Amino acid sequence: MNPLRDAWQSIVRRDPLSTDKGKSELVFLNVWLHIHPAKVKKENLKVKHTFYLGFITFFLFLVLVTSGVALMFYYRPDAPQAYQDMKDLQFVVYLGSFLRNMHRWAAHGMVICVFLHMCRVFYTGSYKRPRQFNWVIGVVLFLLTLGLSFTGYLLPWDQLAFWAITVGTNIGSYAPLVGARIRELLLGGHTVGESALLRFYVLHVAVLPVLMTLLTMVHFWRVRKDGGLSRPVWKLKEEKSAQLVTIGAPVASAALAAVPASKDKTYGLMEVVTGKPIFETVSMEEEEDTVFSYPYAFFREGIALLVTVTTVMAVSLFWKAPLEELANPAKTPNPAKAPWYFLGLQELVSHSALLGGVIVPTLAVLALIAIPYIDSNPSRRPADRKWAIRAFTLFVVVNVVLIIVGTFFRGPGWAMVPPWVHITGAE
Amino acid sequence: MKRRSFVSWGTAGLVALCSAISVSLGAVVRFLTPSVFYEPPQTFKIGNPADFSYGPPTFLADEKIFVFRDPEKGFAVANAVCTHLGCTVGYFQSDESFHCPCHGSVFKADGTVQHGPAPRPLEWFEVTLARDGQLRVDKDHTVPASYRLVVSS
Ligand code: HEM
Ligand code: FES
Repeated sequence: MNPLRDAWQSIVRRDPLSTDKGKSELVFLNVWLHIHPAKVKKENLKVKHTFYLGFITFFLFLVLVTSGVALMFYYRPDAPQAYQDMKDLQFVVYLGSFLRNMHRWAAHGMVICVFLHMCRVFYTGSYKRPRQFNWVIGVVLFLLTLGLSFTGYLLPWDQLAFWAITVGTNIGSYAPLVGARIRELLLGGHTVGESALLRFYVLHVAVLPVLMTLLTMVHFWRVRKDGGLSRPVWKLKEEKSAQLVTIGAPVASAALAAVPASKDKTYGLMEVVTGKPIFETVSMEEEEDTVFSYPYAFFREGIALLVTVTTVMAVSLFWKAPLEELANPAKTPNPAKAPWYFLGLQELVSHSALLGGVIVPTLAVLALIAIPYIDSNPSRRPADRKWAIRAFTLFVVVNVVLIIVGTFFRGPGWAMVPPWVHITGAE
Repeated sequence: MKRRSFVSWGTAGLVALCSAISVSLGAVVRFLTPSVFYEPPQTFKIGNPADFSYGPPTFLADEKIFVFRDPEKGFAVANAVCTHLGCTVGYFQSDESFHCPCHGSVFKADGTVQHGPAPRPLEWFEVTLARDGQLRVDKDHTVPASYRLVVSS
């Protein structure tokens, strides 16, 4: 008896990976991997279907958790100590500025990728039956991502942080009835001060990451339980596409043909309950279009992970995360800008705080959530959903334009300026 | 168990559960509301009348107020916090108005909105003479823009 082999086998119980059984067991005997199916459709591994944006978003989240925990070892959420700690991280702590850069750039990247992922899901019509609810979970994940960015923005306690959060939380107080109260709860006071910093810290490092983790798990679980990824749109045949998406519809309890149970077989639950599965099942002729997740899917995900991490590291080597002067409640920098992804909002707010800061964003979020329930067109083929695509594209373009205007065309006093003013610093 | 009693026990249980949840939620909200705000006092002294010059207003950074002094009309104190989203406005002698750096609101010297997204005029605070002869500002008491404290010197 070989104790080493014995130990190995006590940890890894699967058959050798050279066998099909081993390949499947690698997936479903492993707590981390078993969210994958043992086999996946080849077409779903194609980059041009998903661009791996969901994965990249998730990997950026992992980078954020890792670098964030590292930063916590040197950061105290107390004013003005917090700013001092940022300076220390920047100039004193070994690898401190690199970690800070990584955390900052990965956060920006995550906002971009989660948005692009949402666009991909929309344009491929992947929010349609049976995936409606996973889209809703996705919208909540999107809001959590913004919430994490927003709470993180205050922590350096510099001018940028202080004024972005002052303006941001004041927008909230325009909400009728509850607005002022919510702001007071969020800040633990009436102005952005020490209690606000502590509250934002707790939200940023505990409450929101935990919610994000839990919901991400639900999101992945639902992808799997909704039948894996949707079929790439180019695979949808004209006649078949409507029929493919109606599969989730409740069926008039058609009894399945009862096959006499055999005594020398064990049965899984799905083999004894009656009723149709809610998702697209793989038929026999499609079976040959599938490959084992190991190594094909894992390899591609591994590449996505590698590309994500190296990109963040490379960017962090060359570009520094900004850190301005210590927060000064008496002096508002001119112009005082929110983080870029809120500049569209700030642009709206500069016209009307109630309409632009509360009503329009609330309606936009509600509309996003409602998309899968409003859009009753069963077809996922782009040719069949021209109006949906136009409407969503309009939404995306308006967002992007507002952000560009807010970022590049607004100068001191929020006046319109040509973009080169920001580059040359001329006025 | 009889059907009737099952239903009524069930209802009672449901009511108990809902009340427990609402009470807990209320407690959470109350817990998150500070019982004491460790914030600067709303009423404070800003110095002797003689400390303030005539002409352009004096900006007190920590208190975020402008102190106006006029030879005939006396003292008035304006809030430097923009009524739009809380940025600190600046006073420009050139056009005798307040400008907000955040979204470009402009207020006339009497605090009324000239243009921009600010929904309300700047606030004016009550200023009185304390017993020791110092000026005292009360941020909890807003007054009309015409309010003046005349100090005979
Ligand atoms: C933290 C944020 C998010 C993470 C980590 C995440 C992750 C993922 C991953 C890994 C997938 C698998 C395929 C892929 O890479 O596209 C996926 C699919 C999906 N996601 Fe997300 N996602 C997030 C946010 C969102 C948002 C904002 C939406 C939409 C509003 C959304 C809706 C969906 C839907 C409907 C699917 C199934 C798509 C299909 O079957 O083709 N997710 N997500
Ligand atoms: S805060 Fe003054 S204009 Fe917006």
